[in-house]
Amino acid sequence: MTARRIPILGGAHAVILHRPHDVVEALARQLTAIGLTAEQAWPEVPASAVRADFLFFDADMGFDDQFPWKPGAAPMPTIALIGSEAPGRIEWALSHSANAQLLKPVGSAGVYSSLLIARQTFEQNKALEAKVASLRERISQRETIVRAVAALAQAGGSQEAGFARLRSLAMDSRLTMEEAAQRVLAYRETDMERADRQVTK
Amino acid sequence: MVLLRAFLFSDVGRLLMVKRIEVGLLFSRSGTYALISESCRAGALKAIERVNARPDARIEIVPVERDPGGNVDRYAPLAEDILRDTGARHIIGCITSWSRKEVIPALEKHGGMLWYPAPYEGFEASENVVYMHACPNQHILPLLAYVVPRFGSRAFLVGSNYIWGWETNRIARDLIGDAGGTVLGERYLAMGDEDVGRIVEDIRIQRPNFILNNFVGATSYAFLRAYAELGRQDPWFQPGTCPLISCNISEAELPAIGGNGEGHLSVGPYFDGVPGGKDEGLDSSFMASAYSAVSILAEMLDGETPAGGAMDFAGRRFRTPLGQIAIDPATRHAHLPVRIARIHDGRFDVVEESAACLAPDPYLSRYDPMTAFGRPGLRVVS
Repeated sequence: MTARRIPILGGAHAVILHRPHDVVEALARQLTAIGLTAEQAWPEVPASAVRADFLFFDADMGFDDQFPWKPGAAPMPTIALIGSEAPGRIEWALSHSANAQLLKPVGSAGVYSSLLIARQTFEQNKALEAKVASLRERISQRETIVRAVAALAQAGGSQEAGFARLRSLAMDSRLTMEEAAQRVLAYRETDMERADRQVTK
Repeated sequence: MVLLRAFLFSDVGRLLMVKRIEVGLLFSRSGTYALISESCRAGALKAIERVNARPDARIEIVPVERDPGGNVDRYAPLAEDILRDTGARHIIGCITSWSRKEVIPALEKHGGMLWYPAPYEGFEASENVVYMHACPNQHILPLLAYVVPRFGSRAFLVGSNYIWGWETNRIARDLIGDAGGTVLGERYLAMGDEDVGRIVEDIRIQRPNFILNNFVGATSYAFLRAYAELGRQDPWFQPGTCPLISCNISEAELPAIGGNGEGHLSVGPYFDGVPGGKDEGLDSSFMASAYSAVSILAEMLDGETPAGGAMDFAGRRFRTPLGQIAIDPATRHAHLPVRIARIHDGRFDVVEESAACLAPDPYLSRYDPMTAFGRPGLRVVS
């Protein structure tokens, strides 16, 4: 897959979470020049912002309750506007996992690169989170696999044969090993229930 | 009272009323792209002369010149020099993007404004620069939209090894992809390097439909020379089948290019012979852009805005050799006509031109492959 290389930012919407200030004007001006629409808000993130494509937030005066999401869980790329470089403020901005930062005062330079960096970092993080979630899921299924291999080993004679059988089942039905193992166990359970029913008849 | 009025309307009175305003000129009078910067300088000086000669002028422009001699490291100190040591707040100057980017910090520091008369690769909107020549939606985009349907979409990209070549070729690569074409090669040479043999050999083997030439100065002239020789050996490489196309070659460089340019294509807001600049003797888009920069600046300074105040371009249109143009207040880029021209008998013949001025889109944020090439971009849907 080839990614589009001309970054398309035209028509994107950015929310600037900052009290009215020259910084907001300069930033909005530059965003408009780049082709975005910009909206200022303070102190709360407005409901409309949930659908924004970018969020710039003030690292100097910002606080957790401004955001309707947990720190670091913003649903869009975020850019910290850093004026004071006091360690406490940097730490707070970091706790919100800003995808990029922009130093105040904001000039003509820096806005465009912060947008591109924020978007890429945000998307990378999202992809990484999805990957971690799927790995977590697979780890949690280890026991299922062991039990399925054991069940198949009974029929096949050895653990190797059981494992090979599970793998070919997974491949044939285009499932992950974990999904195939779940099916084997489910099938086995219904089988045993049927057998139980026959015995008790 | 009567005496005072008579005095004010006399020549002496007018001279006393005229405000002298220094304006910086920062053009290299030597170096590899001297032909282009001399053309710009000549355009700026012509315009200054014209402004100062107006009988009703309330301002007189006094040029303050500095010559970086084609050395990129000289631009920032000389811009600093102009802004710190003279009264000039406005500078007409720079050819390469490299030098423009060097100058911007000095402009920001001193509140100066650069009027930049050369085409560039876009993706910039400095509050201290007025961009008077074409940006990508006004050069490479219409040029490829013209060339691809006529010659084919197998492209070879060359350029001087700095931001203009890199970025223009990068945009071209995307646009060619959107047009369903392929890029057969992308090669760079250092500015001033004339050793083009290997690139020309590569082109001979690849047999593209056209070559995008983003070389600057001496490299470009050497390349055109070697390519003309290739065309004599192999008819595929004649301009009728495989032209060189450029966003920066103009009449200013024809003396160095000579007959080697015949049949090749270029794009710009202006070519010699366009009615708007005929009377002024403006013979290239560079000259016309620098001329227009000075005349717009003079109109702004002469108007109600106090001299040296912020440039408010909103709602204004200016009559220039480039046409009736506006400066986009958001990006300070000029609305410009687009003209595509072919070199024929040592001059440029316009083969296609836009019906009206094209609004600048320096970040290509309004770019749409559908309208550009009449077909949707190839998007992978999986």
